[in-house]
Amino acid sequence: MTNNAVLKVENLVTHFKSVERGKVVRAVDDVSIELMPGEIVGLIGESGCGKSTLGRSIVGLEKPNSGKILLDGVDLSSLKGKSLRTSRRSIQYVFQDPYSSLNDRQTIGESIGEALLIIGIRDKKQRSKRIHELLDRVGLPKHLSDRYGRELSGGQRQRVAVARSLAVNPRVLICDEPVSALDLSVRAQVMNLFFDLQKDLGVACLFIAHDLALVRQAATRTYVMYLGSIVEAGSSQDINQNPGHPYAQALLSAIPNPDPRIERNRKAIPIIGDIPSPTDPPSGCRFRTRCPIVVDQCAETTPESITVSDGHYVACRFAERNG
Amino acid sequence: MKTALLKVNNLKVNLYTEHAAVRPVDGVSYSVAQSETVAIVGESGCGKTVMNFAPLGLMPTGVSIDVKGSIRFDGQELVGMSEHGLRLIRGKLISTIFQDPMSALNPSRLIGRQIAEVSELHLGHTTKQAEAWALDLVKLVGISDPEYRMKQYPHELSGGLCQRVMIAIAIAAEPKLLIADEPSTALDVTVQAQILKLLKDIQMRLNMAMVIITHDIGVVAGNADHVAVMYAGRIAEYGPVEEVLVNPKHPYTKGLISAIPRSEDPIGSPFRGLSGMPPYLEGPIRGCGFSPRCTAAIDRCSTSRPSFTQITNTNVLAACHIVNQSESQGAMN
Amino acid sequence: MIMFRDITETISKLPKLAIYLVFFFFIIGLTGPWLTPHDPLIVNLLEAGVGPSAEHWMGTDHLGRDTFSRLIASARTSLVGMSLILAFALTIGISIGTLAGYQRGKVEEVLMRMVDVGQSIPSLIVALAVIGIFGTGYWNMVLALAIAWWPGFARVSRVVAVNVMNKPHIESLRVLGASPARIFFLHLLPTTIGAVLVYATADAGALALSIATLSFLGLGIQPPTPEWGQMLVDGLPFLESDPRQVILPGLALTLVVIGFNFLGESIALNRVPKPLSRLILKRRRFETNEWIKE
Repeated sequence: MTNNAVLKVENLVTHFKSVERGKVVRAVDDVSIELMPGEIVGLIGESGCGKSTLGRSIVGLEKPNSGKILLDGVDLSSLKGKSLRTSRRSIQYVFQDPYSSLNDRQTIGESIGEALLIIGIRDKKQRSKRIHELLDRVGLPKHLSDRYGRELSGGQRQRVAVARSLAVNPRVLICDEPVSALDLSVRAQVMNLFFDLQKDLGVACLFIAHDLALVRQAATRTYVMYLGSIVEAGSSQDINQNPGHPYAQALLSAIPNPDPRIERNRKAIPIIGDIPSPTDPPSGCRFRTRCPIVVDQCAETTPESITVSDGHYVACRFAERNG
Repeated sequence: MKTALLKVNNLKVNLYTEHAAVRPVDGVSYSVAQSETVAIVGESGCGKTVMNFAPLGLMPTGVSIDVKGSIRFDGQELVGMSEHGLRLIRGKLISTIFQDPMSALNPSRLIGRQIAEVSELHLGHTTKQAEAWALDLVKLVGISDPEYRMKQYPHELSGGLCQRVMIAIAIAAEPKLLIADEPSTALDVTVQAQILKLLKDIQMRLNMAMVIITHDIGVVAGNADHVAVMYAGRIAEYGPVEEVLVNPKHPYTKGLISAIPRSEDPIGSPFRGLSGMPPYLEGPIRGCGFSPRCTAAIDRCSTSRPSFTQITNTNVLAACHIVNQSESQGAMN
Repeated sequence: MIMFRDITETISKLPKLAIYLVFFFFIIGLTGPWLTPHDPLIVNLLEAGVGPSAEHWMGTDHLGRDTFSRLIASARTSLVGMSLILAFALTIGISIGTLAGYQRGKVEEVLMRMVDVGQSIPSLIVALAVIGIFGTGYWNMVLALAIAWWPGFARVSRVVAVNVMNKPHIESLRVLGASPARIFFLHLLPTTIGAVLVYATADAGALALSIATLSFLGLGIQPPTPEWGQMLVDGLPFLESDPRQVILPGLALTLVVIGFNFLGESIALNRVPKPLSRLILKRRRFETNEWIKE
């Protein structure tokens, strides 16, 4: 692990009080990830795996119970109040739902303008200029700044949300399912925007998604998450061509193919049963209750992360070291 | 050619609100044969949901609609049928499953009860018979520990299980046609496959016709026999899945299919999609609904509505001037 | 301002009758003193108990004061009283409720327990208790009813505040690094104020009635300031001989309360979409028929 990561999360733990008495939802249970400057990294997993909670914990929308979040090497938990707020701005968040992430009572210009006010740009002319620059950067026409969010399409709204995040000059964008609420034909507009930001501004992105095909094309590295822990990590190429963890294997085999000739013959690796409750994860390896290659020892110890090849880690006792 | 169980001909639906009139379905024709699965594909605002729900009287309260055209189902004409007549058909001959399983179930009633009341209503079962029937159904849809589950409430079940319950409710009266509105969208990809396979098994067992409304082409590829691609209230392309998805003719279908990320695409390569925005349906659409966004559009495309015609040597129908043009050129040769 | 937009939108959907009644009340209350043909306070025993005449449109009361003028003046007293009480109660209630919804945790617990206590005692009893401690009189009545009324506003504010705080657009402000002050004053407060004002309008009928009740009991507004409740209690001895003296103020009070209650009800019931009126349906159908048939 190199030391010049722009964002480094170490052993993060975020628990919630469950609706059931006395129980705790272990949403994020000892997770470590890192992001290099200008990198696009994917975080995939299904519902209930804790990926959204991880994203929210990183930007401060949830309070982690323990662990460190390091921005350019600075531990955010060592900061307080104003300096914390200022540092936090370097990590921005793009929400899943484009329809509620914008304030309906503000025009687009006012929304973006508020972000600029927050970082201290008081001069109206300067703000106006910057708003137009930002709209341009996300590929939206300038006149939209007088419109309200509800007059725009989902794809446009999402781009406005990105523009607003850019207003505070972030180094990292945490994107939580940024296109899953959008139509298929419109997704490219937003996804390609992230590529542009990476290229032009060096903004790193953490893509949280359950759409594996999308993450496969967008991210250079991917983490696979299950029930609060990372079960596999590596380059997108490695994970897609050579998934080591049974869960990742099953997940990838479940991606539907739009070609009927292939799709009709596709045999997905079955995953038995339902995801266990996060208040009561299985002992040892959390995936063991649904794993096709489970053995008795899997219940006893949590599997270590095995280096399968350079940069490719699998948390399964059956993973083989190749490198 | 199998005889059609459901035959939709030039269906139009007008929707009226206080502020506007919208035509979400503008002259749609397709058919579904027994044991066959037809997928209706489209993006938001294309009219695919209204098309299936409006004629059955399933629109939300407060929305006024007019349905014109013809829908022949098993010898009956559904357009113009009274609410009473529709109620006899709903649940018994034509059944629906909805997008969000959690909210489609009654949160204050036991699962078993919700399934049982369908057969009580439509098959005239007594309470005891209905409970036994429901138990069988719960087993049929692959819910483990069925006796225990029957006595649970929807909030105690996961999304996948709720979806199975909804399927059990839908097939309880052994309908001839099942309309599934985005049956897998709210589910994780690993559960999706299970549910779709379940639907297929049930379809075979009951000899049921199925209409799947979805925006996921992968689902279409694996589960449907025929597909209708909708845009702006009209069908852009319709035909067997092997032909439409492998060799799309309509520019919209082409664009839609190319927008799907493929494993062959190198990491970091730009995503493909369509420019522009979905169309407004609050007024008449001049010409082809897709023309403002179509890269191949010619003048005619914005003035006259392309006719929905069959492409020679295929089983595909498409509504596109460009396609028709190359057709007639081919015919001349 | 943005919240006014909400209010005007809501008003346009409400039943006309209720709007007119309330509006009427406001107009009379505001312009009253200039409309009264006679000074409502002037006592003229020579003309006491006179029935409706050209001189006195609704007659006079037992002290010879012009009833019509007194009714109008009462409207103003009521209006001013209600406004003052609401001003205090809203300020306290919205502040406490919004703060509770913003802070959550211990602060919220403490504040909401206070609200619970306040709400669990019927408003009139609270008012009586306060008056019992501080005595009667105009300002004591205002204090008493303000204390009785603020918990309801606090509760509504808190619910709205909690709701708003969980919305993604507020969360995105937090992520952008907006200061808590900015979020509280520029985003949270306008929403809660808007919501509570709507609720307050619906509840105003009860307030008007409470003011009248207190003065009926002789505990609130003291004579000679005219007020409907007072006019009622003054007219009671004459219930058989001159029922007009009881009926007229009673009617005035009833109309005002009904007006506000209608308003409140329709605010609550406004959620259900009505089926389209035939006229609109016809218009829409006509529109679509015009569309090109291809």
